[in-house]
Amino acid sequence: MSIEVKNLVKIFDEKRVIDDISFTVHDSETLAIVGFSGSGKSTILKLICGLLQPDSGEIITSEGDTAMVFQYSALFDSLNVADNISFALRERKDLRKKFKENDLKEIVAQKLELVGLKGIENKFPAELSGGMQKRVSFARAIVTEPNSILYDEPTSGLDPISSTLIEDYIVRLKEETKAASIVVTHQMSTITRTADRVIMLYDGKIVFEGTPEELLRQETPYTKQFVTASLEGPMKMIA
Amino acid sequence: MRALQKYYKQSATYKIFSGIFALLEDFLTTLGQITIKGAQLLKSLLTARIDKQELIFQCERFGISSLPITLSIVGMTSIIVSSQVANEMVKQGGGHFVGLLMTMLIVREVGSIMSGFAIISMIGSSMASELATMRVTEQIDAIKVLQVNPVEYLFVPRVLSGILMMPVIVILASVVGVLAGAVATAMTTDLSFRAYFDSAWLGVYMKDLSVSLLKAVTFGGTISLISCTCGYYASGGAKGVGLATTKAVVWSFVAIVIWDMIFSIIFFF
Repeated sequence: MSIEVKNLVKIFDEKRVIDDISFTVHDSETLAIVGFSGSGKSTILKLICGLLQPDSGEIITSEGDTAMVFQYSALFDSLNVADNISFALRERKDLRKKFKENDLKEIVAQKLELVGLKGIENKFPAELSGGMQKRVSFARAIVTEPNSILYDEPTSGLDPISSTLIEDYIVRLKEETKAASIVVTHQMSTITRTADRVIMLYDGKIVFEGTPEELLRQETPYTKQFVTASLEGPMKMIA
Repeated sequence: MRALQKYYKQSATYKIFSGIFALLEDFLTTLGQITIKGAQLLKSLLTARIDKQELIFQCERFGISSLPITLSIVGMTSIIVSSQVANEMVKQGGGHFVGLLMTMLIVREVGSIMSGFAIISMIGSSMASELATMRVTEQIDAIKVLQVNPVEYLFVPRVLSGILMMPVIVILASVVGVLAGAVATAMTTDLSFRAYFDSAWLGVYMKDLSVSLLKAVTFGGTISLISCTCGYYASGGAKGVGLATTKAVVWSFVAIVIWDMIFSIIFFF
């Protein structure tokens, strides 16, 4: 077990955005969380990585770090790529004495190679394309060898080819790090190419749990509506 | 009952009171945020490792980049005051005290408060908008997820730079102010430079200089702390960045005027 979520509840302005949700993600497994915008997908990630506190329920993660890849990369724009990737190693109290300057250079080069971006250490985030920024944020996320990695809409805003590349790296990182991964996404290609299991959220609750193949079979009204992107069905969009 | 509630919510009384309560809530929230971050900052200042490179960068930004505007503002304020006061004093037979008055005014008040205002508009607003942008682009969330203390990383070098650089700025601004006052006096009256400076030295006491430096340290720390806090707690997109910057500027202005009043009451009453 790497991430276990038990009876999680999060309330914003008297609305139960997350309403008694439980699931488990094991090591070397990727769970995709899907659902309409505003269904609480990103909130779950923020709860797991500690950016938000739950109103009730429990989140248990294995010892070690939980890394997060943000929707818009969230790279530090005043730092170059190398400093972005080595940020935690330089600034974290428990890590900064462990590494010398040469070690950091080597680690940065290794991580950049892993995400296919060798030799861009001195560039600044503004000089990179959206897809490259995303991959740098992958490198930054895995620099502390995390036990779990959370991806918040990793392919949003990218062209189909860049999306495919990012999806390949999600799979590759899972294989390299053996981390438990959660991918919040709307895109079917990301679900089918990266996820081992899928949960679908609606109105703060899990309305479907299964494999990507089961999702595509459209056996429930919820999966049918989601896969066919239909306005007709049990899920109502709040305009 | 609901109809009554709806009617009540549309009434002018409800709107006025809800507006007042919203303002009060915002005031108390901001005060609480500044207090909390101030306490965390004190703890971090005592325990955190200070990144010298970042501190030097922030000092350069706080002190050097703001210096031309700060010195110009203090110099011009001094010219405005002396050109109006010197002529009158000379006419009334008090020409020998122009230097004394100007020096006392600049060292005690103009040097520190006008530098404070210049720093707020240049550096405070820039700090607030920088941190607010980091907040709305999730960079501060990324710092937290990477388990780096945001107060240590963002607040400590900025507030320290304010504490260290503000006295330097105030000293330089005061020197420029006194000199500008001398030039303006010489240009608007028959009083010589020598006569101006003869009395100028009489207006400077050790206590005045000490209080001026103490004020500078307090202003520098306060401006940086308020600006960083307002930026740190920004929310929303571009509008949120704008609101945070405005809030930082307004709160810093009010705070340094309050500090100035407190210093005056304590040291000069």
